[in-house]
Amino acid sequence: MKATVQYVPGKSAFHRLDPRSKIVFMLLVTFAILIVQNLWVAVAVLLTLVLFWGLARLPFSVVADLGKAMLGIVVFLFVVQALLYPGKTALIQPVIPRFVPFIGGRGQVTLEGVLFALLLSLRLLAMVVVLPLVSMTTPVHILTLGLVRLGLPYRLAYTVTTALNLIPILQIEAGVIRDAQRLRAFQVFEKGGFLDKLKAYPPLVTPLIIGAMRRAQLMAIAMDSRAFGASGNRTYIQDIRMRAGDWLFIGFSILYAGAIVAMRFLVR
Amino acid sequence: MRQHKGQQEPYIVFDDVSYRYPGSGHAVKKHPYVLKHVSLTIHRGEFVAVLGENGAGKSTFCQALNGVVPHSRGGRMRGRVIVGGQDTQQATVAEMAQQVGIVLEDPEAQLFTTSVLSEVAFGPENLGVDPGEILRRARWALEVVRLTGYEDHPPTALSGGQKQRLAIAAALTMHPQVLVLDEATSQLDPLGTLEVFSVVRELNEQYKMTIVMATNKGEEVAEFCDRVLVLHKGELIAQGTPREVFADTELLQRVTIRAPQVSQLALYLAEREVPADKKRPADEKHPLAAGCSLSAGCSLSALPITLDEARRGIVQLMRGAD
Amino acid sequence: MNEVFQRTATAVAIEIEDLEYGYQPHGVMALGGVSFAIRRGEFVGIVGHNGAGKTTLLKTVVGLLLPTSGRVTVGGVDTRQTTVADLTTWVGFVSQNPDQQLFAQTVVEEIAFGPRNLGLSEEEIRERVAMGIAMTGLEEFRHEFPPALAKGDRARVVIASVLAMQPEIIILDEPTTGQDYRGSRQIMQIARRLHEEGRTVLVVTHDMALVAEYAERAIVLCRGQVLLDGTTATVFSQPEVLRRTHVMPPQITQLAQTLPPELGLPTDALTVEQLGQAVVERVGQRRTDVFYPRTDVFYPRVPLKCRDEGRDV
Repeated sequence: MKATVQYVPGKSAFHRLDPRSKIVFMLLVTFAILIVQNLWVAVAVLLTLVLFWGLARLPFSVVADLGKAMLGIVVFLFVVQALLYPGKTALIQPVIPRFVPFIGGRGQVTLEGVLFALLLSLRLLAMVVVLPLVSMTTPVHILTLGLVRLGLPYRLAYTVTTALNLIPILQIEAGVIRDAQRLRAFQVFEKGGFLDKLKAYPPLVTPLIIGAMRRAQLMAIAMDSRAFGASGNRTYIQDIRMRAGDWLFIGFSILYAGAIVAMRFLVR
Repeated sequence: MRQHKGQQEPYIVFDDVSYRYPGSGHAVKKHPYVLKHVSLTIHRGEFVAVLGENGAGKSTFCQALNGVVPHSRGGRMRGRVIVGGQDTQQATVAEMAQQVGIVLEDPEAQLFTTSVLSEVAFGPENLGVDPGEILRRARWALEVVRLTGYEDHPPTALSGGQKQRLAIAAALTMHPQVLVLDEATSQLDPLGTLEVFSVVRELNEQYKMTIVMATNKGEEVAEFCDRVLVLHKGELIAQGTPREVFADTELLQRVTIRAPQVSQLALYLAEREVPADKKRPADEKHPLAAGCSLSAGCSLSALPITLDEARRGIVQLMRGAD
Repeated sequence: MNEVFQRTATAVAIEIEDLEYGYQPHGVMALGGVSFAIRRGEFVGIVGHNGAGKTTLLKTVVGLLLPTSGRVTVGGVDTRQTTVADLTTWVGFVSQNPDQQLFAQTVVEEIAFGPRNLGLSEEEIRERVAMGIAMTGLEEFRHEFPPALAKGDRARVVIASVLAMQPEIIILDEPTTGQDYRGSRQIMQIARRLHEEGRTVLVVTHDMALVAEYAERAIVLCRGQVLLDGTTATVFSQPEVLRRTHVMPPQITQLAQTLPPELGLPTDALTVEQLGQAVVERVGQRRTDVFYPRTDVFYPRVPLKCRDEGRDV
């Protein structure tokens, strides 16, 4: 998986927004997505987010990669919801014989189930697209500052945004470890079946975690040695400022989220 | 070449320091106390090397200088470490950070921002220093380490030597009096090592900064350091000038530290009693250098530790023999 | 395994022909036309500045990277026509960071990891593990958790694990970085023993004293190309060329090179022993009652007599 949600330098309008307005946008939209019940609204939301993505001039390949990464969960969702959703329009008749306890008589795939699964998948995809919209258009330290100016204590804000930095590091590290395993004739990732691959993760996880722990410990020493968290009045050489465009964007976000929520109650 | 700096006031004092890390893991059970009854003094402006095998306590020693040991690492410390009048156990790590800067071995682990400028600003920002002042300090620090012009570069794009110089600059913006380097050049290539050493030497000579350097590289120690501390299994078992330490063959046998090759040559020759001319009068200077080149008994000034000294010594030896 | 590897047939262990490699399709080439051949049984040091392409080169030899153009042949087989797994029985790779190569719960399991992946019988696996442990002196650590060991011991575990695959060629990428003197020596002794057994050994390092002492041949890379390739003595006799790739001869060689030639001492001395021996022969008389330590002992063991006063030091 090559998807990386790290900062991509750029000059789009989205890049130039204050991090606070982007964070507010993200929170509002995420909340709204959680409320969506209508399939068409979900499609509309996803499409507008993709539109934003284009406006921010971010590469669409990342959307595709994110989609691929979600594929496993989506399939799982489909199977579960399609089978268990109490729908009326049966597409496939009961699969599990009645005499089986608890789940006997179930297993019919209904149209409603399939549609519900689709809705959930679209919502999931939308949520997964919103965060990168912010993280890929905002340098990490600006994002941290945005959270601080919104009221989060510095150490907490730092912890949250550092997690973003960690993902690509762990990906690279995992790649290195996988190569090291190949050099001991370990071929499961290339040739093994699904179950074999699953069993192959533990040997990969140990060096990854140990490496991460060692690195974290060194980082902590380095950070403490530079007085991390020392002052309640931390200063910043690069400050942020809300401009007219930011307020407009926030206003727009409220309207947008509001519309999505309204749809919930107006459209059935 | 190097002034005797022992006459300066004591700046760093270890007073019977013992330390054990927290936890009961395998490594800790085997050797609980990583530092044992260490007592020593480092004077202001000295350039001190800390030698010893892996596991001897060099890193712990380095981290004890700015309070990371014991504050950040936990564990139990006995005795006191005083730096510039401050007891490290009474002060916070943040307070000590303004006295002591530290550079770690792994260039990647200590750089965590997205630009050189924000990296060097990180420390003073944490202290709440005025942004204008921070920029002034940053400009100075980058100039000292010769990274002016790299302000917008991402740290990951720098070479190993540049990364470590950046780490030094990031420590310098805290305006420390002491710079600690914990094996800071062990992962660098020869050029990177040279870059780092020349910066550190300048800090020591021009800015009178006290330098404490944990290292394995005998040749660098010989060239730059005023004094050497030798740690072994947590104890300070020897200290002296590089010449004294590298001439102590019993010590070298016990601790397997790497003396400069030219010193190894002198020891090799001395062992074979070259020249073996017993007719020479007793006070004739040993030809390898002025004075007897070995041991605590003789005048110690003589073991060659640099290329120049060795060259002079060999030439004198060979010409004297003909 | 792969019958294509005719172990006895080829005299050339590794052949690199006009190898080019670029990490990005249109970016700067990490390797721009490298050619050399390493015969079986050679001990070669590979040196050069950071970014010169040393690690990239090693990765093409083990098959992790395939050439952008040119050819890499290992044991007579083109790396493009085989797999990384098949190559592991021919060439073993110990990377810079041992922590990234430890996967198991105990040292024994770690060493067994490779042979198990090769599909060997339990009996054979046990033999290989015993051999690996014996080779690297890890008896006391059999059941330890590898990441909990000291740095030098972790490195030896990785070496043992690679040796258990019984490769003809061993590649060590910066084996002594971050190790103390004792650890470095231990690792290089193992490398020397492997070489004495007839294996081909490649070491990438920044430590020129080690190259001078252990390797017979040095390949010097500079900006993705071979700058020098020859015996260590020949290579280190060209300090001005080496400077281009930020490499300097070991201190003892630098000393030998700057001594006045009329002294009659070898200007290409590679080790302390070599130069010392020459001085002794020119000047001193060998004493027959003193034990002269072998070259891989660290320091004089005999109490040194202060010549002036005759007492032990």
